Amino acid sequence: MTDDEPGPNDRTRPRTHGDPDGRRRSRTSGLIRIALARFRGQLTGVQSGKSTAIVVAVALTLALLVVVTGLALALVDGGGTSQTDADVSIEPADGGSLSSVNGIESPRLANATAHTAELRAADGVDRATPVLVEPVAVRSETASTADPSAYTRLLAIGVDPAVDAGSVAGLPLDALGDGDDGADDADGRRSESGAENESAAGTLGARSAGLVLSETAANRLDVTVGEAVVVTSGTETYQLPVTAVEPTTGDDEAPVALVDRDALMTFAGSADASLADRILLWGDEGAAERAAADAYPAAAVEPTDSIHPAALFENDLALATSLVATIVALVVCALFIATTAGMAVAEDRPQLAILSAIGFSGASRLAIVTTAILTTVIGGSVLGVVLGIGVGYGVNALAGVLFATGSVVVFHPLVVPYTVVVAVVAGLLALPYPLSIAARTDVLAAVDG
Amino acid sequence: MWGNNGPVRARSKLASEVSSINRTPTQSTTAGPHEPGDPPAVQLDGVTHEYTAGSRLRSTGREPVRALADVSLSIASGEVVGIRGPSGSGKSTVLHAIAGLLVPTDGSVALFGTDLTDCSGRKRLRLRRQHVGIVFQHFHLLPSLSARANVALPLVQLGQSKATRRRRATALLERVGLGDRLTHRPGELSGGERQRVAIARSLSTDPDVIVADEPTGELDTATSESVLDVLTSVADDRAVVMASHDPTTLAWTDRTITLCDGSIVDETDQDEPRRARPAIGASGGDDP
Repeated sequence: MTDDEPGPNDRTRPRTHGDPDGRRRSRTSGLIRIALARFRGQLTGVQSGKSTAIVVAVALTLALLVVVTGLALALVDGGGTSQTDADVSIEPADGGSLSSVNGIESPRLANATAHTAELRAADGVDRATPVLVEPVAVRSETASTADPSAYTRLLAIGVDPAVDAGSVAGLPLDALGDGDDGADDADGRRSESGAENESAAGTLGARSAGLVLSETAANRLDVTVGEAVVVTSGTETYQLPVTAVEPTTGDDEAPVALVDRDALMTFAGSADASLADRILLWGDEGAAERAAADAYPAAAVEPTDSIHPAALFENDLALATSLVATIVALVVCALFIATTAGMAVAEDRPQLAILSAIGFSGASRLAIVTTAILTTVIGGSVLGVVLGIGVGYGVNALAGVLFATGSVVVFHPLVVPYTVVVAVVAGLLALPYPLSIAARTDVLAAVDG
Repeated sequence: MWGNNGPVRARSKLASEVSSINRTPTQSTTAGPHEPGDPPAVQLDGVTHEYTAGSRLRSTGREPVRALADVSLSIASGEVVGIRGPSGSGKSTVLHAIAGLLVPTDGSVALFGTDLTDCSGRKRLRLRRQHVGIVFQHFHLLPSLSARANVALPLVQLGQSKATRRRRATALLERVGLGDRLTHRPGELSGGERQRVAIARSLSTDPDVIVADEPTGELDTATSESVLDVLTSVADDRAVVMASHDPTTLAWTDRTITLCDGSIVDETDQDEPRRARPAIGASGGDDP
C-alpha cells in the first residue's frame, strides 16, 4: 500500500468523484477567480498601494518602450511621407533613408529620371515616379520679406507631375497638375528639356506648375488655392502658385507639400543630379517588382504596405534602438515587479496560510500568486500601451510644430501584443522571488498571528 | 438565555436548521453512524511536541520549547470536546496536531485510524482538506471575497463546479442565518457574522472533524451564544474540538480536557448530557 492509499478502516475517504478532467478545469477556473478577486481587492482596497505601484511602474516603463519602439519604426518607415497608394517602392538597400529623424543625409537613388522612364516602359507597370523628400523654407507671397518668422519649414515631396493618379504622403498627384511643356506623350514620359519659367527671383523649369499643400501646411502659411508662396533656397527665392490644398489624412499632421521633383532639386541646389529617395510604381505588383529589380538590382524592392516591424532587422540603428528599449523595459519591469510583488506577498502571507490551512495545495497557492501578479502586469502593460500611444501622438504633434518633420514616432498594431508579451516575460522573470516568499509561508505562524 | 439548565437547553431554530445541513456535498462519503468498534474520530497517543529554534516564532532560539508532553486522548464522532487551559498550555498545538497542520515530534495523531504522522505532507493536506474543518479565533476570512465566496473556498480545491460551490455556500450561509449577507465582504459584516461565515466555511467540505480555536474569543456574550449554538449543533456525526479558556463556551461541550504546561491535568464530563440532536441529513432532500 502506498502512502497515499487509504487504509482498510479508512473513513478518510475522498469526497470527490466524477471526471478528473472536469475537476481539474473547475479547480483551475476557481483559482483564477480567486486570484482575480484578490487582484481587484488589492487594487481597490485599503492595501492597494503595492498593486497600484506595480501597475503604474509597468505602465510607465512600457509606455517608454512603446515610444522608443515607435521611434525605431520611424527610422525605417519615414513617417507620413511614406504613405502612398503605390504598389511597389524601390529604395536604397540600407533602408531607413526616409526617416524623419535621420533621413537628410541618407543614401539616395542615382539617375532616377532615366531609370523611372525605363520602369514606365516595363510590362505591367502603369505609372512610376521618383520621389525626393527635402525640408524647405516657405512663406506666403504676401508675408513680409523682412520678417524671418514668416518662413515656415515644410517637408517638400518632389514627384513627377506628369503622373496623373495616385497619392504620396496623402496628397493626390493629379492635383499637382502637369505644366510640363516637355512632356512628350500621354504616359507622362518626360523630355529632359523644357521651357524656362522665370520666377520672382530664381529660375525653375516650365513644368513646375505649382505645389499642393497639406491642410496643415496651408494653415501655417495662411494661404489658399490660387495664392502664391515663396520658397527660399540660400540667396534665391522661387514663387510658386498653390494648386490645391488637401485635407490632412491619417494621424500625421506634419506640414507637407507636393512639388515637382525637378523644382525641388533646384531648391536643394542639386538640379544637375537626378536623385530620388525612392521610386514608386503602380501596376501589377509582381511585374512591378521584377521590373524594379532589373532596374535597381542592388536596391531594396518592397511592397508599399504599411511598415512591418520585421523591417527593424534591416536597419542597424533601428534594431539597436528597439533592442535596447526592450532590454531596459524587461530589466526595469522585472526588478520592480520582483521587489514590489515580493513585499506584497510577504504582507499577504496570512491569507496564503489560511488557504493552506483549509486545504489548498502549494501548487494552487502559487498559481493564485502567479495569476495575481501576471494580471497586475498585464493590466500595467495595457495602460502602458495607451499611455505610450498618447505620448507618441504628443511627440509627433510637437515635432510637427517645432521641426516640420513627418512622424517621429510610428505605431504598428503589433506593438500592442509585443508590449504585453514583454510585460509578461518581465513578470515571469520576476516571479521566482515572490513565489519563493509565498512558498516559505509558515502556516502556523500566520494563523496564530 | 438558557438559565440554570445551561446552554444545552437553549436550542434555537437556527441550530435546528444548521443540523439539517446535508452532510454529503459530493455523495461519495462512507461516513455513517458511528459503530462500536470503529476507530475513534480523533486519537492522540503519547503526543509530545517541541518547537525547535528557528522553526516557530515562539521558539526561544536557545532551548527547545515543549508545547505538548505525552498527551493522549480519544474523541468519538458526535462528541463535542472542549480544551481549556491558560495561555501557552498547548491548546492550540493540540488543535493544530489534530488538523494535521503540524506533525508532533513524538507520538501519533490518527483520524479514524489513519495515522497522520505516518502520512506524507501531501496526503496530510488532502486529509485535512476533505475531513477537517477549521474555525479560527480571528475568523481569517479573505477580505476581497464575498461571504459566499469565502464559504465556497475549500470546494475550489476539491474541484467542485462553480454551480455546486455557489449552491452549497448559499445553503450553508442560509443555515447559519446569513442568507441576506451572501455578497457582503467580511469588512461589511459584524464579528459574529464573520465567525458564522467561518463556521459555514469549515462545514463546506462536510468534514468529519471540526477544530475551533477560541471561536468566541472576539465575540460578545450574545453573539457567542449564537455562534456556539451553530457550532455544536453540527456535531451529530462529527467530532467537534473547541479550545477556549472561557467557561461559558466550555459549558456547551460534552467533555472538557484541561491542559497545563502541555500535559492533560484534568478531564471532566459535563453533568448533563448535551442536547439530543436529530441525525444530520435527516431532512432528506435538502441537498445544497
